[in-house]
Amino acid sequence: MEPVILDKFSVKIAANEVIRYLENGKRASSGQIKRFQGVLDLSLDRAGVLVRPRGIYVIAPGKSLPGSSLFRELERMAFCVCTIGPALEKEVKRLMDRDQLLEAVILDAAGSVAAEAVASHIDGIFKEQAAAEGLKTSCRASPGYGDWDVGEQKSLFALLPAGRIGVELSPSCMMIPRKSISFAVHIDRNPVRLRSENSCENCDLDICPFRITDR
Amino acid sequence: MIEHLKKCAQAVLEGDDRQAEKLARLTLDKDYPLLEVIDKGFVKGIREVGRLWEEGTLFLPELVMGAEAMKKAMAILQPALESGGHEQTKAGLVVIGTIEGDIHDIGKTLVATMLSANGFGILDLGADVPVQRFVDEAEGKKADCIAISALLTTTMPGQKKVIEELDRRSLRDRIKVIVGGAPCDEKWALDIGADGYAGDAVAAVALAGRVIGG
Repeated sequence: MEPVILDKFSVKIAANEVIRYLENGKRASSGQIKRFQGVLDLSLDRAGVLVRPRGIYVIAPGKSLPGSSLFRELERMAFCVCTIGPALEKEVKRLMDRDQLLEAVILDAAGSVAAEAVASHIDGIFKEQAAAEGLKTSCRASPGYGDWDVGEQKSLFALLPAGRIGVELSPSCMMIPRKSISFAVHIDRNPVRLRSENSCENCDLDICPFRITDR
Repeated sequence: MIEHLKKCAQAVLEGDDRQAEKLARLTLDKDYPLLEVIDKGFVKGIREVGRLWEEGTLFLPELVMGAEAMKKAMAILQPALESGGHEQTKAGLVVIGTIEGDIHDIGKTLVATMLSANGFGILDLGADVPVQRFVDEAEGKKADCIAISALLTTTMPGQKKVIEELDRRSLRDRIKVIVGGAPCDEKWALDIGADGYAGDAVAAVALAGRVIGG
């Protein structure tokens, strides 16, 4: 039940994922992307310097989430909060204040991709650990998705001392820095499908513009 | 002149802010009729940007660049417009911000930029804006509309509180309210008594025009 802190890892920010965040229902053409290649490359370089991935997690029974009954039947869960740190969003704010909205928008998208990559990296660790024991993991579930009320961020933060990786929870249950992700996975021989899963592979909305696919 | 108008529209459509500024300066140097250049040149360009966005032809960086080119051209033309005693028809004054408890900023800033590029006066209060401040500013500046962004289900009720405060001060008939943000939708706008919901920056321009226009 002792929380584990991860802070010695890096993530790759995929350019095609950043572009996907900027699309508008249709795939951007190579000509369109080419026009912004310079700003995109600069943003990826900036993000590479500004992103500082960190995560904290605990492996515990579902019932150990204080004040929540959502996972009480599940024997083994991984609960996690992770972040890219505050530097990128400070830079986005600085760019907006200087009226450099294009740069701000693209850097913000790079930050979103980076946060997702951090969560995926830690989720991968859970998968590996589970596989070593002949177990599997469910897809990630996050407060605010499906039947997991966003108000239960408070439960998650009561369980995990996320302040140790620099993530705080506002009274409205918003994580600060904003580019942070909290999630849980079920670890079992036959993990359940959590209704609050936030994974594309478990979503039926095939035409969603934000769907993660191989480009 | 017709060629000049075409170039102005094209500069905005292509998001070429340097060309837009150059053409705005040329407008002043050549003493072209300001209102006509704005309306049949630059405004025509930004409307086309909005249309192509709605059609899905443009992606976000192109929308942003179009709006920025428009803003830069107008920054040059606006002082001349005012000093020349011209009366450009203002689309209305919009007070905009993200509701208290919520520090998401970038979507709201995009909406503000598009509104500004489309001729609305903008008072951007930023993020984490208290209910009272929305209403105080709108009342003090005699705004036509308040645009409130909320990105969390926990902060959405703040949008309703703004409407209640307008009601309490008997301002609701005069000041329109539009809402936006990921968890909001048409039904939410209807439920809280807002004048409308917009899903993106271009839709917000059309909505603001509709509600202010009556």
